[in-house]
Amino acid sequence: MKVATTSFSLLPSILSNKKARLIVITGKGGVGKTSLSLACVKFLSSRGRKVLYNSFDQPANTNLISQTNTDHFDLDVESSAQEYIGKKIGSTTVASWIMKTPFFKSLFNMLPGLAQMILLGNIINMLESDEDLTIVLDSPSSGHALTMLESPENFKEMFRTGLIVEDIDRMQNFLFRDEKMLLMTASLPSQMATVEALELGIELKKRGVPKVHKILNDSLTVCSEILNSPRSEYPEFLKTKLSLEEDLIKNLEKDQWPLMPHFSLNSQDLVIEAMTNFLSTHSRDSA
Amino acid sequence: MSDLAYKNIEIFCGTGGVGKTTLATSRAYELGRKGVRVLLITIDPAKRLKQVLGLKDEKQGEVQKILASHFDAREEFSFDALLMSPRATLSRIASQSEDGADLDNPIVNILTKPYGGMNEIMAIIEVQYQINTGLYDCIVLDTPPGKHFIDFLQSSKKIVQFFDKSFVEIFKFLGKRITKKGEKPKKSLLSIIVSSGVKKLLSYLEKVTGKDFVEDFIDAVSGLYRNREAFLTALKFQEDLKKPSFSNWFLVTSVEQGKSSEAMGLKNEALKFMHKDSYLLINKSLSPYLGQWTPKADDTGLIKLCNSMKARENAIKEVAKEGYKSVLFFPEVLGATPISHVLELADNWK
Repeated sequence: MKVATTSFSLLPSILSNKKARLIVITGKGGVGKTSLSLACVKFLSSRGRKVLYNSFDQPANTNLISQTNTDHFDLDVESSAQEYIGKKIGSTTVASWIMKTPFFKSLFNMLPGLAQMILLGNIINMLESDEDLTIVLDSPSSGHALTMLESPENFKEMFRTGLIVEDIDRMQNFLFRDEKMLLMTASLPSQMATVEALELGIELKKRGVPKVHKILNDSLTVCSEILNSPRSEYPEFLKTKLSLEEDLIKNLEKDQWPLMPHFSLNSQDLVIEAMTNFLSTHSRDSA
Repeated sequence: MSDLAYKNIEIFCGTGGVGKTTLATSRAYELGRKGVRVLLITIDPAKRLKQVLGLKDEKQGEVQKILASHFDAREEFSFDALLMSPRATLSRIASQSEDGADLDNPIVNILTKPYGGMNEIMAIIEVQYQINTGLYDCIVLDTPPGKHFIDFLQSSKKIVQFFDKSFVEIFKFLGKRITKKGEKPKKSLLSIIVSSGVKKLLSYLEKVTGKDFVEDFIDAVSGLYRNREAFLTALKFQEDLKKPSFSNWFLVTSVEQGKSSEAMGLKNEALKFMHKDSYLLINKSLSPYLGQWTPKADDTGLIKLCNSMKARENAIKEVAKEGYKSVLFFPEVLGATPISHVLELADNWK
């Protein structure tokens, strides 16, 4: 089987866009968002960029982060909110008192969108105060990623006036203008995952994301372990798996779905290393 | 595997991409085929169920009849399905309220948009409502992945906190009607103490968010409070879930990269909500195919692939050793469409 190796350079070149300061990786659950996000951080930092990984509102996989030795930071909703309120009203003491009330605690619990908006606001602040920084966001999966990106608009509609609305405008400018956010939806080569990515792309555009990039992860069609053997050597199930995948890819707009190969490795940190090497090998511009 | 007796509630949970939706559908299909009155509910906002069942977005929040013919089955039977819609659940609560305008509030309306973030909380209320209708022998629940599933399980606790007594004092102070018509409001010393702090708090809030919001917000919360009984029914559901006679828990995992450790993590978190009578479902198992495969001795590439596939199967079997009532294996389905997957998996429940 022949592989169009030129298309391998597409993903590294999308990721290398220096305008992109916030790289958001989302997609259906289980498609490899965390591995791809960590590989993306490793790849960009190997090219001399200052990059940090963040797992947003999900607890970070600390084992994997330390195994792969990835630069990262963690945010906590309550302290982020406290910091924000503190800045706005000019007193950290009052802010901490407000956040301790059962009133606010239960409010945050009932409104996950509010918590997400505060985290996102904090991330954008970090990026605006350090022009050399890039952040890779290992985002919640599809539906919850929509909640995250929709939350600024929802809360703007609710608040209408006040200091917070100015801040939300600033957030939205960062996210939806000037290509500062690079949004990628990852998929596995299955109908369920690719359909979800396509639907998600439409929903994201409705919410103001100008361009949605895609990645097809874990593809057998470009897996080096099997491409070196003639197809006649494959067991039946592998032949079927491969042809199902080929049929699926045929129906996708190929140039828009850069592929990441399947790696026959048994631990996630090794897969991330292999992904990073793959990106570096196929990157067109030198480090 | 032998026929597995159904319970009132069957919960499919697990990390992302392991096949919860497809497996839950195959279960509903198989029970429906046996004549059990089944409702399949998805509370994942990603709504893959829509794709599997060929449903339309507009039908979100409405119970729909799924005919076996959708799956090209020869037998005639059906089961019901519901794509969770927070807005639809809220509308029903409002329609049963003595003052329908209670919940017609800009804030409540925004939050109950499909991606407003209220999905997990409204879901627990919806499920309890569907149980109460008495129309079903069994409700099969397809849940959101990972952390959001835990959010769902914690919903009733959040609801209770939200309607917490001390919190309510705020609104009493503001002169809002939080009691039902005819009910006498109680006054307490506590309310006066809390209120003096609340006034300050609201004035700070106003500075940051604007005055209109504070007014809408107070209206929203007092409206919700007057309808709290509709929300607090969810508590019963949480209690019932803990009873082995009431629910079957299916923790779904799959034979893919890194899934075994994720499954362990989720189980540990979900443990405090579930009972010990739970099942582990191992999906996308390649074991049936791998047993017969021996690559040529000099084919290093295929040997590497084969060994890595076998190693994954073994890693997941380690998870299976951890005290489940039973472990069920579902082989990887080599079919293109979700329908072909459902049909083949359904056979495995027999």
